[in-house]
This record gives sequence, structure tokens and C-alpha cells, in this order.
Amino acid sequence: MSLLEISQLTMDLPGGKRLLHGIDLIVEPGRTVGLVGESGSGKSLTARTALGLFPEKAKLGGSVKVDGTEVLGLSGSALRALRLNDVAMVFQDPRAGINPVRTLGDHLTEALRLGEGVSGEAARKRAMELMEAVRLPRPDKHFHQYPHELSGGQLQRIMIAGALMGNPRLLVCDEPTTALDVTTQAEIVRLLATLRDERGMGMLFITHDLGLAGALCDDVVVLAGGRVQERGDMAAVLANPSAQYTQRLVAATPSLHLDDAVPAAVTGASLPDGAGPASVAGRHEAAPASQVGAPEAGQGTWAGDGVVEPLLRVDGVRRTYAVRGKDPVTAVADASFVIPRGSALGVVGESGSGKSTLARMVVGLETPDAGTITVAGKDRTGTPRGREARLAHARSVQMVFQDPYLSLDPRIPVHRAVRDAASLHADGRDAAKVATELLDRVGLTPEQQQALPRTLSGGQRQRVAMARALAVQPELLVMDEATSALDVSVQAQVLQLVTELRAERGLTVLFISHDLGVVRRVCDETLVLRRGEIVEAGPTAELLDHPAHEYTRLLLDSVPRPDAGWRLAG
Amino acid sequence: MTAPVISNVPEPSSVEPTPHRPAPRVRWRTPRWMRGTVLVWIAAVVLAVAVLCAVLAPWLAPYDPARIDLMNQSASPSAAHWFGTDSLGRDMLSRMMHGARTALLGPLLVVIGSTILGMLLGLLAAWRGGWVDAVLARLFDLLFAFPALLLAILAVALFGKGLVAPVIAMAIAYAPIVARLTRQLVLAEKQRAYVSAYRVQGFGGGWIALNRVLPNVTPVVGAQSTLNFGYVLAELAGLSFLGLGVQAPQSDWGSMINEAQVGLLSGHYLPAIIPAVAVVLVVVAVNILGEEFAERIGGNKA
Amino acid sequence: MNIVRSVGGKLAGLVLTLFLASLLVFFSRFLVPGDPLSFLLRGRKPSPEAIAAVTEQYGLNLSPWEQYLKWIGGIFIGDFGRSMQYRQSVSEVLLDRLPVTLGLVIIAGLLITVFGLAAGILAAVKRGTWVDRTVVVTLTAFGAIPSFVAAVGFIALFAVQLGWFPSFGSGEGFWDTIRHLILPSAALALVYVVLIGKVTRSAMVEQLGREHVEVATSRGLTQAAVVRRHVLRNAVGPILTVSGMLVAGLLVSSSIIESAFGLSGLGSLLVQSVDRLDFPVVQAIVLLVVAVFVAVNAVVDLLQPLVDPRTVAGAGAR
Repeated sequence: MSLLEISQLTMDLPGGKRLLHGIDLIVEPGRTVGLVGESGSGKSLTARTALGLFPEKAKLGGSVKVDGTEVLGLSGSALRALRLNDVAMVFQDPRAGINPVRTLGDHLTEALRLGEGVSGEAARKRAMELMEAVRLPRPDKHFHQYPHELSGGQLQRIMIAGALMGNPRLLVCDEPTTALDVTTQAEIVRLLATLRDERGMGMLFITHDLGLAGALCDDVVVLAGGRVQERGDMAAVLANPSAQYTQRLVAATPSLHLDDAVPAAVTGASLPDGAGPASVAGRHEAAPASQVGAPEAGQGTWAGDGVVEPLLRVDGVRRTYAVRGKDPVTAVADASFVIPRGSALGVVGESGSGKSTLARMVVGLETPDAGTITVAGKDRTGTPRGREARLAHARSVQMVFQDPYLSLDPRIPVHRAVRDAASLHADGRDAAKVATELLDRVGLTPEQQQALPRTLSGGQRQRVAMARALAVQPELLVMDEATSALDVSVQAQVLQLVTELRAERGLTVLFISHDLGVVRRVCDETLVLRRGEIVEAGPTAELLDHPAHEYTRLLLDSVPRPDAGWRLAG
Repeated sequence: MTAPVISNVPEPSSVEPTPHRPAPRVRWRTPRWMRGTVLVWIAAVVLAVAVLCAVLAPWLAPYDPARIDLMNQSASPSAAHWFGTDSLGRDMLSRMMHGARTALLGPLLVVIGSTILGMLLGLLAAWRGGWVDAVLARLFDLLFAFPALLLAILAVALFGKGLVAPVIAMAIAYAPIVARLTRQLVLAEKQRAYVSAYRVQGFGGGWIALNRVLPNVTPVVGAQSTLNFGYVLAELAGLSFLGLGVQAPQSDWGSMINEAQVGLLSGHYLPAIIPAVAVVLVVVAVNILGEEFAERIGGNKA
Repeated sequence: MNIVRSVGGKLAGLVLTLFLASLLVFFSRFLVPGDPLSFLLRGRKPSPEAIAAVTEQYGLNLSPWEQYLKWIGGIFIGDFGRSMQYRQSVSEVLLDRLPVTLGLVIIAGLLITVFGLAAGILAAVKRGTWVDRTVVVTLTAFGAIPSFVAAVGFIALFAVQLGWFPSFGSGEGFWDTIRHLILPSAALALVYVVLIGKVTRSAMVEQLGREHVEVATSRGLTQAAVVRRHVLRNAVGPILTVSGMLVAGLLVSSSIIESAFGLSGLGSLLVQSVDRLDFPVVQAIVLLVVAVFVAVNAVVDLLQPLVDPRTVAGAGAR
């Protein structure tokens, strides 16, 4: 008998909209099944049915069996017994998933105490054991702490410990690491693998990241639009995807292509040879010899002594924030680097590394405490004062922001948004025409150009943001995590667009990202930031293939890949 | 693999926004039952009738609202007096129509004044931040301690009875409510990257605040102000019920209820019930419209 | 350490707000154009002794700041000056009227807490059903009834028509007083029951949509335990904050209710003093209302860390 057997599962909303179209899925004891799909694919809805969790008014069809017991239509008390003893779930965001006004000890023990009448002392003992098992440093202290006192990674450990309190045989994990940094993600995934092996649990692991699934799962089920696209052995599916959707997903997932700079899907649009000193094509093969302004890879700072005057020169820039009642936080400490004209520099770091602060200083949204920023030989340090300074700064640097849902003014139709930017920097151009050309170029239909942002998808909005930035005709384009909020297939399209635009316009790009795979795809050179300090810098290929600094190695080891060896954790 | 190293330090998450993706979750719109169009239409009609009565009172009213007819005291409704007469024999319908003028004009002025004042102060506090924000926050805190009706009563105590002083006082009392909402909304907008995007494009701060951010918060503030209209109407009517608002011989719904109170004990309910029902109807109508307004905006936010 | 600092900060804020409020109340008189003496003695034919007394009491021959210091100094020792309409000190007049208002507000407070919370919890737990709809529609309808309309309606229905309760006066002896206060308290409470009910419902519905509630459900807790431990518990903060904000309105509304029901409390005294141009009494009552409001909200602020531990760390959470 299988641990979890979902067959022909359908889900309909009262309005008649069908969310799931007959899903089949099996989890055997001791096995991990990856449930992979992009947002809206129905993966979370499917997995939650294993705990009898579904939207109140939804109509379900088919069957969901746990150990042979049908879950759909189970009575309240039987359902509670199932949740207490058989199936447990780890949710995506531990910050949202643990009640902020109750202690962690209360969170861990409440189900045991209230559901099974276990004494407070016994429940506490079990909680201590499990906090040890998930390797939390101070169980006795954490027991009395509140969620806001712990980091995201620590909280996710608490969430996992809480899920294990009832000794479940099936653990459902819903994107348990999406809210975490890559290095923390690696730790959590390894921990999950260990716990699964120690306890012989079956695991259903939901993720949007095919690479992450590849790193952990034995089998995979790929979902899209509420339908199963492909199922099978994890490694086999990755090596040889049969469904068209899976093929595209494999091609678009950056972490699966860390070793080859330009995957097949991207080289499709071949770039003209010698499109500039920093042409992306052939970077991997060409190696550092052709590097313009080749920096000395090394620790600390990196000041290129290029043949050409660099477009962007950042010199000894520092920024500290005062935190009420605490020591000031240094977001960026003494950063120095250059970007040659026409080149693309990636800045990689985890949250809190100062990479966004760096971007904001370059575009003039913040003023550094020390140091200078020069663009094309002109001083662009600090926020510009006065109309002339603002316009001049804007023409030097433009920026594409992280969240496409927030970076467009909701009230302004996209064509007008681009036109406004163009007419502010008109220089005799016809702003409306410029806007139309640019929006055509980034691939928006005429109807979409007249639409309000809310009717557009995330990828389309990000294209608009790029068109708007280009309307100013900047010399440098800063992209701050510009693709991290997008689904992988959309991300691949946007990255492709960046590559093309660079080739066409000889654009210089400062590319901020937490994703090494993405950086590899776009950037000629890369620097690694950690807690505000540049730990390593150099040509992207070289840096990723031969990392010199231990932190770079840690970042690389944390990228979820089929060959990461996390499956056999221990 | 070796045991992972656990950092004991919570991430300085305040320094940088972490990349997030929208949670993949199914959401339903708020149920439509409260947005029933029938209800909204009825509310709109009620309000329109009230406004028409107020505007056209001098032409529509069958009698002089102040004309006393001692032969015809507390008369029941009849063809001559549709709503009957009050204890002094004055025609209730005419008094209601003329009363609608003060009942609606006062709240309108208060809402306009408090909205303009509140939005500007709220925008200033949120946009400038720092000490400006701190000083204004203290000012709002202070004004919150003076409920609108109390400030209106104080104004009457200082400047005498009538509508002018209470209206100004209530506009001041309601301004911080609008200002706090505006401040909160503008702060939220300021966090949104589109504001930074405008800056990066080279637009000036004042231009962004007035031409881009203010219009984006106006609908929500407008919905709140619509709801405020209902509250102010009730409070101003309460003030004239206390005899501190509009003075005789001018009629006002609140003072009509006050005058009719004596008649209650002898069973003459109608002169009290008619203005009371009018007040409640208009307040309900405004509330329904205000909530509909707020709901529509909520639905439109992407 | 942190707590000490945040409590200290809040107390300082309290004192500052009270100080500013006293400035406003005192100096509001200076907004009136003309001679302060004739303002204070409006509508009276003052004898020379009365003029001398008022001049002395207000220190009208002193500078404005000295006048303020004299006034506020008096208040610290319970001296609010002398009433113009009674031959008594203001504090004596106030103490006379306090019990009725206190009784009214206490009974209303009980009604608001019981019915407001019950309605809100019921609607939230049954959200989306006909129970929820009925509660919300009823609340919305009641919410549109201003307190003076409620007062008149209650008098007509329960006092005159049905004769269940007295319509006028405050009664004698404990039980008779309670009987006299029930109808006014209900009229006073009506609007606030609605407000608390709505806040309770929306705070709980908001929590019901949170992920931690789904997590609690997924761990096998009963619906009742989830609501009690994760929904209601987390909604306490917002409910408490709103309750604090409503106190001032409640006190002022009592002036309408007391006038309608012919109760001789502080509220009706305020109205009567405005009517009779007795400015010292008006000043004292306004200051009293503001002080009570500020004190209640300071208490709510201090309770907040017990309700939500995040506010301790976050300090200046407003």
C-alpha cells in the first residue's frame, strides 16, 4: 500500500472554474516526490489535500488516500487524528506561519497538549528533543522566545520541528525554502533529507525550482495549469524531459546550467560577432584573455586598470544605517570597482549583503557616507539636487526594480509612463514615437501599450520597466533583482531581452542578483558581496569555475543541483 | 555532509528587502452580497431626493416653514399638510425641506475642509518625514483627544451659537483622521518602487508627490471622507438637538427632534419620528455609498 | 531595560499631550476678539465686586503666561475656579454631577463589551453564512442611528408606549438609579456596540486569512482551539486600540444622552454651561474629558506589549 495515493483528483470552484484536472500522484514510504510547477499550476492545492486542507467552497472529485484511508469526506475528528499522527506540513514562510504573539514553545507543543492530552512536561521534553534534532543552538532558550526574535532560517527549523512533533509518516513541504537565502536553503534542505532518512518518512516536496527538486527528490511530478505534464524518475526527467513543457522548464532553470554560460535556449538568437568589447557570446570559450579592463581577481577591492576609461567607477563607497537602540549596520563597506563601457557586471549576494543599497547609491537614490561614484568621467555621488543635476544623473544611470507589481504607477497607462520619461529627456525627439518604438521593441502589442499596468503579467510589466528606463537613453542600466519575482520561463525571456538589448545598444549593465545561474547567463564579470564587503571579483566564468574565496564556494555549493549530493545527506 | 553551521544572528532584514514572490494561494473576492446594486441605487435615490429638497426648498415647500398656525397644532397628516404640523402648527414638510439645507450643507463644508486640510498635512508628514512628521504626529495625537463634538461645543462656548463656529471646529477635528489615513497611504506608496522609479527618471520630489502619489491615494481618502459625511451629519444634528447649533426660526432636523421631544410624552410621535427617520435614512444612504466606493477601489487595486 | 525605556517614553508622551491640551483649552479663550472681561461676563450685569472677583480669579491684569500658570497651578490642587451660574466652586459642581455620568458610562461600557464582542465574534466565526450577513446588516443599520435619535426612539417606545422604564430623571437609591440608567445607557451604547462589533469582526476575519491559522489547522487542532488561541488572541490588539480611541466619543455622546433623558450628569452640565455662558465650567469639563481620554489610551499603550510581544522590541509602535 502506498503512503499517499492521489488519483484522478479534481477541484472546482463554485463559479465553475476547474483548478485541478485529474491529478495522479503516489508517494511511497521513504521516498521523496517533487511536485514542480510555476505559480498557478495547482501544486499547493494538490499537496494540501493530503491533510484534508482545501478552500472551503471548492468541490472535489477523485480520491486522496493516506495509507489506504480515504481523506476526502473524512469526519472532523478523524481528520484531526490524521493531522496529529500521520501527515504533517511545513509551510513556505515561517514568519507568516508561526503565530507572532505566542511563544515558540507554545507553537511546538500545542497540538500535542490540546489534541492528544499529553502533559505539558512531556510535550516540552519532546519539543526539546526535536529542537536538538533540527539543530537549533539553544532549545531551552528558544522555548520561551517569540518568533520575531529568531532569524528566518531558525524559524523554519522550528516549523519543521513542530511538524515532526506527532511523528508523521508523510511530510508535505510547500516551498519551505523560498523565503530563505540560498545558503540557508541548502542547510534546510540537507536537514530535511537527514530527517527523512532517520525517520523513514515519505516526503512530498513542492517547489517552483526544478534544480532544487533535482537536488532532493527521487521522483518528480511536473504540473502546469492544474494538469500533470510529466512524471517519472527525477534524474531521468532532468536528463531527458519528454513533455514539451518540461523541456522548456529545464532549459529555463538557471541553476541547472551553472557550468555552461549560454544554454541552448538562449543562444538561439545568435549574437553578432564582436558586437562590442564585452559581447556575451563565446565568453566561456574565449576565457579571460579577451577581457577588457581585466581585473585582478582577489580579495577586498577590485580596481580595474582598463585600456578604456571605465563607464562606472565606484571608489571607496561606504554606507551605514543607524538602527534604533542597536549598533549601526554597515550596509556597504569600502566598495571599489569599475565597469568598462559596454560590459555587464553582476553583483551577487544574499539578503543583507548590501547589494541593493549599492544599486540605490549608484542611481542616486541614496548618498554614500564616504567615497565617490563616477559615471563616464562625471561625478555622480549622492542624490542630485536641482533640476539640472537630476536630469543629468538620470541620463547617466537608469534602473529596473525588483518587483514588477510595484515598480509601475498603477494609475498611468504604460505607453504614457514611457512617454513621460522620454519627454522629460526629449532632446528634440518625439516622445510618443520613442515610447511606441521602445514598447514595440520589448514586445508589447499596441493594445497592451494602452493598458493599465494591472492588466499585464509580471513579465510584461518588467519589459515596460526596461522600455521606460531606455527611454531616458542612459549610459548605464542598473537591474536590481529584476527577474527574481518572475517564474523561470518568464525570467528566461526577460534575460534574453537583456542580452539582445545589450548587443543592439552597447548598453552597460550593473546586474544585482542572488542567483548565480542568472548572473552566469548575463554578466561578463561578477563580484561577490557579503555583509557589505566585496569578498571576490573577476570574470564570471572564472569566478564560478574556480572560486577563490570560501564564501563564493559556499554560495556555489548552495546552488541546488541534481549533483549537489544533498539526497544522501547525513 | 557536515552539520550546517547555524548563525545565531537574525538577518538584518531591515536593511534590504528580500526578494519575494507572490504566494501561490487561491483567493476569492469579497462576497458580492453587500455590493447589491439595488441597495446602492436606493441609497443614491435617497441622497438625491434629500439634495433636491435642500436645493429647491424655497420653491418646493408648500408653506413658510416658520409660519405659526395656532389653530392647527400637532395636526395629523392630511392633504393640506402631508407630514402634519408640529406643536406650533408649522408645516412639517416645509420644515423638513428647509431643514435639509442646514443638515446637508454643514457636513459638506466640514468634509471638504477636513479633506483638503487633512490630505495636505498627511502628505507633508509622510513625504518630508523626520521632524516635520514627528511634530505633525504630535499635533494629530493632540487633536484626537478632542472628539469632534467636544471641539464643536467648545467653539460654541467661545463664539456663540450658530453653524459657522461648529463647522470650522469640526473640520479641524476631522482633519487629523484624514491626515493620518493619507500619511499611512502615502508612506505605503513611497515604499513602492514606482516612486523611486520617478526619482531615478529625474522627476522632482514635489512633482511626484502632488501629481503622482496624491492622485493614487485620493480614491481611498475620498471613500473615508464619504463615510465621514455621515458621521458629521449625525454629530451636527446632535449639536442642534442640544440647542447649540442652528437657532430658531431657522429649521434643522436636529432641533426639530428636540422641539418635538415634549410632545412625545403626550403621544405625538410624528414630529419627532419624521426628522429622525430622515437623519437615519441619509446617514445609511451615505454609508452604503461610501462602502460601495471603498469596495470598488479595493477591487480595482491590482 | 527596553520596557522601562518604552514605559518612560510613553509617560513622557502622555504628559506632553496633556500639557498641549491644557494650552489649547486655556488659550482658546484668546481666540475670541475683544475684551476678556466682557467675554467672561457675557450676558450678565456684573456688579463691581463680580468684576473684581473675575479679574482676580483669572488674573486678567497679568500676562497671558502668568494667567496660564495661575490656572494650571490651581488645577493641580483641585481648584478649577468658580462657576458663574452657581455660587459654588467648579470642582464642587463637577463632583455633584459625576456619579450619574459614571454610572451611565459604566453600564454602557458593559453593554458595549458584551454585545459588541459577541456580535463580532459570531459574525467572524460564521463568516460568509446567513448568520454573518444578518449580524453585519443589523450592525450597519444600528450604526446609522445617532445617539439622540436612539434616545428619542427609546423614550417613545420603551418609556411612553410600553412603560417599561422611566423616561426622565436619575432616580433615587441604588436599584432605582440603575432602572433609570438602563435606557440612557442602551441609547449611548448603541453606536459603540456597532463599532466594536465591526472592529472585532474585521480583526478576526483578517487573522482567519493568515497563514498561521492554516498552520494551526493543519496540525490537528479543533476549530474552537484555533479560533480561541490564534484568531481571537491575535485580534485583541486592534480591538483594544480602537476601544481606547472610542472613549472620548463616548464621554461626549453622554452629553446628548443626559440632555435627552433629563439626567443631571457632567454631559448635561456641559451643555447647560455653554447655554448659560458659564465658561469656567466648560473649560473644566473639556479638560477633564481630554485627560480621561489621554489616560485611557496611555493604559492601552502600556498593555499593548502584553498583548503583542513585538511592540516591546519595536518601541515606538503607534
